[in-house]
Amino acid sequence: MASLKMPIAQLSRLTIGPAVRSQPRLPFVFSGAADQLRCASTKANPKYKKKDTKKKKKTTRSSFIQYSLKDAEQFSLCDAMRYIRAFEVGRPPTSAKYEMHLRLKTLKNGPVIRSRLQLPHPVKTDIRICVICPPDSKAAEAAKKHGAVLVGEEAIFEAVKAGRIEFDRCLCHVDSLAKLNKAALGRVLGPRGLMPSAKTGTVVKDVGATVKEMVGGSEYRERLGVIRMAVGQLGFTPEEMQKNIRYFIDHVKKDMSAMSDKIHKELYEVVLSSTNAPGFSLNGDFRSANSPSTRDLSVL
Amino acid sequence: MVHIVKRMRKLRALLGIRLGPGAAELPPDVKRIHLDFATKFNDGHLGPRKFWRHYLPRLKYHNPAVSMTINRTHNQSGSATMTIFFADSSKDGSPPTAATSTTTSGLPSDHIPFDRTETVEMKHRHESQILSELVKLTKARKIEATAEEKEQLKQVQEDRRQSEKSSQRAAVINAQRKQKEEMLRQARAAAEAQDV
Repeated sequence: MASLKMPIAQLSRLTIGPAVRSQPRLPFVFSGAADQLRCASTKANPKYKKKDTKKKKKTTRSSFIQYSLKDAEQFSLCDAMRYIRAFEVGRPPTSAKYEMHLRLKTLKNGPVIRSRLQLPHPVKTDIRICVICPPDSKAAEAAKKHGAVLVGEEAIFEAVKAGRIEFDRCLCHVDSLAKLNKAALGRVLGPRGLMPSAKTGTVVKDVGATVKEMVGGSEYRERLGVIRMAVGQLGFTPEEMQKNIRYFIDHVKKDMSAMSDKIHKELYEVVLSSTNAPGFSLNGDFRSANSPSTRDLSVL
Repeated sequence: MVHIVKRMRKLRALLGIRLGPGAAELPPDVKRIHLDFATKFNDGHLGPRKFWRHYLPRLKYHNPAVSMTINRTHNQSGSATMTIFFADSSKDGSPPTAATSTTTSGLPSDHIPFDRTETVEMKHRHESQILSELVKLTKARKIEATAEEKEQLKQVQEDRRQSEKSSQRAAVINAQRKQKEEMLRQARAAAEAQDV
């Protein structure tokens, strides 16, 4: 198609070009010619049209595709950990992490799960928390006491505007929300997921308690029907992992039931992976007949 | 999430970690293997690194109870050694001197003191040489594929051949498409250049 078209285009240029050039410059003539050419090229190429119709058909699906797990190989926790340990051999145990992926049966649109929890065995204990509240208030004192790194109002706004974001989580006191909105930090903090908002539970009255909950806590949210979160350090024993995973899944289930009046969600698949290992679909058992002892599995 | 078939195909890597060079069972008196080499591969550190990347996972899979640690230094001209720690039934040996490592912070505190260590020089050596040295020193038992696993391996190879074929076919089609696009682009550019 294209190979046919090109010589035609060249031909038309060859015949029209020199004749036009000798005439006084008339912009509308040129633009007309160019438009015609552009139209011709889109009309002549049926590929684009085809694509459009295909796209329209695709958008009619309202929920994520659920693949059958019938043929999927599934593992017990100990077996999966044995494989992951092998894939992660020689990696620094503090930097490599176990990850959990929870696939949900859910609609594509509608409310998503977004929450935070404190695992029985925390994964990351060194997050830096920023609290926006008047620097000499009671709330500021409480926040500092429980381990907030940055506390203040204008000083933080200026630092953020200058590009110095030296924190991983951001909280805001209810009384300071107006000031925060006035400072218009949404453009800076929003894309990083740091902008405090009531929806995410980061605009609170009792700042101290929330900071206390956040230190050693982890956040999760549903993206494209999957919730992903780090659930353990590489050095954890299978028992510790079991506790963490159970707690995490219970927490998610609670979230789902809290949403049940708005949307129906269902846990479909649980996958355990790690920084350098592939994902292992778990079958819910702790160990299988030929998995090694749990003591062996905690050896690095 | 990625399509289940794709994920399961990726999991075929598990076969690769169970079988092949390095798949061996160490005797119970081997307690720990420690590798010490540089971060970059020049000056003879390629073999050790490949040993770690390709063979050590297999060893670890078959010997989950053996601690395997790695310390990579920035000293490129330094030595590359593998230290194997043995602990027999008599546990009154002196603790090893080479146990200091940056990556062993998670080592359990109640580990048994070692009574014998062996060192393998890894610098300027091929990974297979390092492996055979290790097997010779520890008298490890090699693990052979069962008939079922052999069948699976065959299937994997067949799949790989097939995918190579189809990727070659797709590469030809893609190249043609790109060529066409390039010709179109050039024609348009020429047309526009003449317009102005």
